[in-house]
This record gives sequence, structure tokens and C-alpha cells, in this order.
Amino acid sequence: MQPDDLSARDDDQPPPRVERPTAPADAAADASAGAGPAPAAIVLPPGTPLPPGLGSVATDPGPAPARPRRTGILVLSLLLVGVLLGAGLLLARMITVNQAWQEASADWEQLARTHGEQLATAQGQLDATSSELESVRSQLATAQQRITQLADEKAQLGDTTEAQRQLADYQERVSQAAGNVAVALASCIDGQRQLIGYMDEADRYDATQLAGFRQQVETLCGAATDANTQLQRELTR
Amino acid sequence: MSGAAPTPPARRRAVAAGLASTVVVGLLTGCTMLPAPPPPVPTSVVPSEAPRPEPTSTGDLSPDGFDQAQRMAVRIRNVGCGALSTGSGFAIDDHTLLTNRHVVADSAELQLSTYDGRDVAVTAASTAALADLAIVRTADPLPAAPQLADADPTVGQVVTVIGYPLGGQLTVSTGEVLGSTTDPLNENLGEVLVTDAPVEPGSSGSAVLDADGRVVGVVYAKDAEEHSFVVPVSTLRSMLADSSAFAPAPTCSR
Repeated sequence: MQPDDLSARDDDQPPPRVERPTAPADAAADASAGAGPAPAAIVLPPGTPLPPGLGSVATDPGPAPARPRRTGILVLSLLLVGVLLGAGLLLARMITVNQAWQEASADWEQLARTHGEQLATAQGQLDATSSELESVRSQLATAQQRITQLADEKAQLGDTTEAQRQLADYQERVSQAAGNVAVALASCIDGQRQLIGYMDEADRYDATQLAGFRQQVETLCGAATDANTQLQRELTR
Repeated sequence: MSGAAPTPPARRRAVAAGLASTVVVGLLTGCTMLPAPPPPVPTSVVPSEAPRPEPTSTGDLSPDGFDQAQRMAVRIRNVGCGALSTGSGFAIDDHTLLTNRHVVADSAELQLSTYDGRDVAVTAASTAALADLAIVRTADPLPAAPQLADADPTVGQVVTVIGYPLGGQLTVSTGEVLGSTTDPLNENLGEVLVTDAPVEPGSSGSAVLDADGRVVGVVYAKDAEEHSFVVPVSTLRSMLADSSAFAPAPTCSR
């Protein structure tokens, strides 16, 4: 038989009195269960000396079983109080931690919403900037094309100007040469006309002087020939 | 017999101690299984140094939007004695440009203009005897200068020609290296490259670039089959390395 069973039964019944020297049924059962024989209570007349080995068991039969019951109740009560106290502390701790996590969650959500708004704003700005960038790129391409066109126009104009300058130089050279030819021819013609007049009246002039004048006229006409050669050279350049 | 099994009070104490221990352990376990309080929420989670994504394209990053190949090109006007011709060239440093010998030969005056129409004054011109190459020194700085490639282009390599065909607008054309041959004009020592990049009179002196924008040759001629002939960069390098390879360009007098 278990001790708790014994205690439970002790609460309902008065403590048993030991009346017979015979072993009770529980003791016999315990003995038969192999737990060993229970100590037997022996009632002796007063003044009878105890036999050796029995001790004082039969001499102190009073309130000994009630003390463990009170101790157990006290221990259980203390244990229950401790459990309740611990559970309360644990619950308070759970509530505190839960509130902290809820607040943190709310803060994170607010932070996420704030960043979400910022992201949306940034994306909108990015879209607008990208659109502007495309527009600027298009303008840049147009400007580049225009710059290239203007550079080409300037180069062509320079070519034309240079070509016209060369043409003007050419025409100037040709005109100069033609003028030289004209002047030389005029001198030649004048000289020849004058020489013809002298020759018509050759008797009136010295033959040596006439020969000298003829030589001068030939020189003038030779200069005209040279000028014409120069003109032809300029024309062929 | 009392030493073999605990007496009832002792057993009760043991049971009570066990229960107490269980309760304490349970409470401690419950406390430890509770999550710790959350850390304080920051005011912002935006990183102070945001990652910078690599640009997907380099774009036109020059000061005026023109790329390097356009900025290095130079138009050359050869004002001769009763003649006028145009050619192309490209800068190899701040005050030096490279072109063909026949572009600058017999000139009374050389006039340069850049991609954006700016005029650049010439200080001197010199030509190479063993290749159709010439160097022109400028008084004003040139906008940009490319790098010379380390080696000649290979057959099949795509090349880009940038110059002023027919003396017109700055033009970029692409082609492919077809091979190499001896110079049909006998103006260059060694072999020259043949490409199918379209060129015209006025493209002489145009830079031939590889995919990385490095100079791999100089255009100097074309044939009736629309093949363009290119002085390879190896010849270019050897000429530039030889200071005696260039002599003052022949001029004419007006």
C-alpha cells in the first residue's frame, strides 16, 4: 500500500488504535507483496520491560502521522503559490513582450509605408527624368546633326570662297596679261605706224637713225609677243 | 527495514521537491522560450551609401556629345597653285595630325577644320618618303586624339572609317578587312590592307578604327571595285618611330 493512500484514508478516519497483536490485513498484504513484514505493535502491561530490538515504537503511538500531512499541505500550498506567482510573472512578461513586438511591428509598417511613398515619388521623378533625358538626347542628336551640317556648310563655303579667290586670282592674272599684251601691241602698232611714216620719207632721215628706230619698234613688238605668250600661259593654267 | 524504502514523510518531501523543481524548470523554460523584446525600430533603413548600378551604355560622354571618333577627325583643304583639293586626317596628339602625303603635297596653303567647324592653324607639314603618310603640326590644340592599336587588324575584322568623303559632311562607314596586298600605287613600302569599307575621293587620310576605337590604319586609295586600301598601323608605327622618315612637304608658289 502506498503512503499517499494511507494519508488520504487518515483524513477521513481517526487514527487506528492498535488493539491486537495480530498483523492487519494491509500488513499481511504488504508482506505478501514482498515489501517485507510490517512492524507489529505489541501491547504490554505497564512496567513490563521491553524486549531487546523493539525500541520504543509501542510506547509513542500518539500524533506522529498528522505532522507529515501538515507539512505536505504546507509544501503544496507554497508550491501552488509559487506556481501562481511564476505563472503571473510569466504572463506579465508575455504581455510586455507582445506589446513591444506589436509596437515594433507598427513602427516597421509605418517605416515601410514611408519608404514606399518615397520610392513611389522617386520612381515618378525617375520616369519624368527619363522622359526629359530622352527629349534631351533627341535634342542633342538634332544639335549634333545641325552642328555637322553647319560645319559642312562652312567648309563648303570656304571651298567656294577659296575657289572663287583662285578664280579671281586667275582672272586678275589673265586680265593683267591681256592688258600687258594690249599695251605692248599698242606700242608696237604705234611704233610700226611711225616707222612706216619715216620710211615713206626715208630721204629726209638718216639711214642709221631709221635702222635704230626700226630696232626699237621690233623690240616693242617683241614685248607684245612675249606678253601674248604670257597671256596664253595664264589662260592654260 | 527502514533503510530499504523511504518513509512516507521522506517520500513526500521528495515528491514536493520534484514538483517544485518541475515548476521552477517549467517557469524558466517558459521564460526562455519567450521571444526577446524587439530591437528599436530605426528611423530610416535607407543605406547611407547606395549601390550604384553600372550604366548599360557609355553614351556620348564627351563635352559636346560627339564621340571620340568624330572629335578626332580633321578636314584638310589643300589650297594649291591654281588647284584646290580636300582630304581627311585625324589627330594623334594635341598638336599633331596624320593624313596622306598626297593630301598635303604641292600646297600653297593648308587649311584645317574640325568636326564642329572650327578652323585650326597649321604650322608645318611633313611627308614620308616610303609611305603615303604625312604629319601636320597645328598651332591650335586638336579636340581629341585616339590610341593606336598594337597590331594590324585581321582578315574579317570589322573596321570603321571616319572622314570627309567628297569633301562633304563628316561620315562614318563600316566595312570588313578582306586581306592584304602589295601597294597597287607603289607608294607604300610593304603590304597594305584591303577593306570593303566605302570611301570616296576626299576620304584619303581617314582613320580606320577597330571596335574599341583604336586606329588600325589610314585610308589612302580605292579601286574601281569599291575596295579601299589602307596603310596598316604597323607601318604607321614604324614611320612615327623613325624621326628621319618625314621631310618637309613640297609646296608650290602662287
